[in-house]
Amino acid sequence: MKPLGSRFSFYVGFVVGTVLLYVILRPVWFEGIQLAGNYGKLSDRQQQLDKDKGIWKKERSALFNLDHPHHTGEDSRMADKLYNKVRILCWVMTGPNNLETKARHVKYTWSRHCNIVVFMSSVEDPDFPTVGLGTKEGRDQLYWKTIKAFHYAYEHHANEADWFLKADDDTYVIVDNLRWMLANHTPDEPIYFGRRFKPYTKQGYMSGGAGYVLSREALRRFVEGFKNKVCTHTTSVEDLAMGQCMEKVGVLAGDSRDTTQRETFHPFVPEQHLTAKFPKSFWYWSYCYYPISEGPNCCSDVSVSFHYVDAGGMYLLEYYAYHLRAFGYRYRYQPPTPKAYRLELSNSLDSAGELKEEISGVKEHGDDDLPRPDQGQDAGPPPVVGKDAAAAPV
Amino acid sequence: MRPKDLMFTIGLMTGFFTLHLLLNSIVPMEQVSVYVRNGNHRLNGHNAHTEPSKRNNSAGNSPNSARILCWIMTGPKYLESRTKHVKATWGKHCHKVLYMSSVKTDFPTVELNVSEGRENLYWKTIRALQYIHQHHLDGANWFLKADDDTYVVVENLKYILSKFDPEKPLYMGRRFKPFISQGYMSGGAGYVLSKEALRRFVRGFHTGECTHFSTIEDMAVGKCMETMKVEPVDTRDMKGRQTFHSYPLDHYVIRQQRRPRPWHMIYDYYTPIEGPNCCSDLVVSFHYIYAVQQYVLEYLTYHLRPYGYIYRFRPDESVEADNKTNRGA
Repeated sequence: MKPLGSRFSFYVGFVVGTVLLYVILRPVWFEGIQLAGNYGKLSDRQQQLDKDKGIWKKERSALFNLDHPHHTGEDSRMADKLYNKVRILCWVMTGPNNLETKARHVKYTWSRHCNIVVFMSSVEDPDFPTVGLGTKEGRDQLYWKTIKAFHYAYEHHANEADWFLKADDDTYVIVDNLRWMLANHTPDEPIYFGRRFKPYTKQGYMSGGAGYVLSREALRRFVEGFKNKVCTHTTSVEDLAMGQCMEKVGVLAGDSRDTTQRETFHPFVPEQHLTAKFPKSFWYWSYCYYPISEGPNCCSDVSVSFHYVDAGGMYLLEYYAYHLRAFGYRYRYQPPTPKAYRLELSNSLDSAGELKEEISGVKEHGDDDLPRPDQGQDAGPPPVVGKDAAAAPV
Repeated sequence: MRPKDLMFTIGLMTGFFTLHLLLNSIVPMEQVSVYVRNGNHRLNGHNAHTEPSKRNNSAGNSPNSARILCWIMTGPKYLESRTKHVKATWGKHCHKVLYMSSVKTDFPTVELNVSEGRENLYWKTIRALQYIHQHHLDGANWFLKADDDTYVVVENLKYILSKFDPEKPLYMGRRFKPFISQGYMSGGAGYVLSKEALRRFVRGFHTGECTHFSTIEDMAVGKCMETMKVEPVDTRDMKGRQTFHSYPLDHYVIRQQRRPRPWHMIYDYYTPIEGPNCCSDLVVSFHYIYAVQQYVLEYLTYHLRPYGYIYRFRPDESVEADNKTNRGA
């Protein structure tokens, strides 16, 4: 009896001890660990919905921006002006399986800089929100989705935006730079911009992954083209098919490079454009319409987009583009003020720029000192930056 | 009766400690502060870290006057794969840059008379600092140590240093809590010694107050700094955002579910923030940035930016203007 009795006591003691500690630690413990599963997801979703209220107005499956500018406390007069004058509707190609893993991160980073953003999926989701295009998912459906998405944008939002951007859920777009690029054009021009590719078409077509943007007139012609059967579903290769239709309805393929001939739309991540040595057999070499620069001249200071950006990369690029900067640094490239905005703002901007340099006293400047294309005014014929500059180490 | 009670008590204690052990391995005590709205601990203008008289004084310590000597801890094995890229990118922004190795080469590297290897890191540091003290003390007033996989935005470092007096014994970097009561600065994130701090370090070894008591370089430097009464500085910006980082950006800016402090933030002296307020706009350093990433960061810092914003000259004065709640990014 005795040995049994003491062992029994041990077990009882063990159980009591464990339970006691559990009871004591419970308030602290549960605070620490976020429980996986429903509880976590619900509160998270609720938090997101609350957060959304300040940033967007949700209406008809689209998100209307309430929160521009995003740089509180900075001088954003130019950015604001462009925001009001160059209105962009961004539509993001996504699908039900990508909402949580990809589209959500697009939503909380760069899409906040669009005037309106619409997420296009095969299935409607009123909470996210996404538009249901009524197609299936899959690579072969891409052009169908694109056709329906643009038709949707035209039917519902034609008068609420001037330009219509298509992007993937793994594209990162710097919308303020897109506005700069578009500011010298009007939405009545039949024109579209993106990373221009040359094969299969006369005037070239725009890479789908890098994103492309249509003027309102181009969009109108696109829709008309389908009504008149001038454009049809020619191939499931969405970007090529788009280019073919644009050509047929007389929409011009624009040159999206900056005034120093550096590209702004990019089909890969910055790392690859800046450092990768693509083998000469790689398709990229034969596809690009304009000469390719490897190294730091690959990419404009006012780049617009990068592709194959993963979820985490969205947050990284948002920080890198909108926040990280070197104090007192004079940039290698000063984007010329768009013509229509020059008289109004350029004077005040210039004096602010000069004041800044005076006070800071630090006149560092970029290594590849291109002749600065402006003193705030008209650029004149841009210097050609070709192979020579590419050879410079940084 | 007695054996029974004894067994009971033993059982109780065993159960207690087992559960305690179990929980501790999953739940370290501190939490990551996920979101700091308005950087509220900075707003009242009381800055323990900056000397108040120096804050608005740009005349005496204008950015021009901070001359930084950067010394890079490297070795023959890494010259081609890492150091070359540091030299081609941010190394050029330093007033003077020295590459410290065990072997003299035409890179150019300085020979330290110490063999390679993790266990010799503190010896290399000691010799490097002594070398700099002997040959370059007058050439600069701030001395930055970095690794060959650290990325530094020298202009932003200059901006921070311009608020301090290099003749005071000061020591800046990513402050870590453990082992040293006043904390020490992470080696990988890079740390800066003022001229006076460097003098004291060298003197400490001369008099024997500082010794090679450990091979853990950053912690050992911190101990010597403490012994020689060199003050650690809080280098966070006016919104409480960190400037020196001991890991790449993705370890800090991507906000995760509220959870106990992850391993890579365990040592942080100041409660780390995860999410868009982790890192200052005028960041100074990131660590574990290899080769090609140096060029990428160079592009992202010095080139890529959104059009249409004129950033204010004095980011410190954002406090009053920034009443809107920070929604981040």
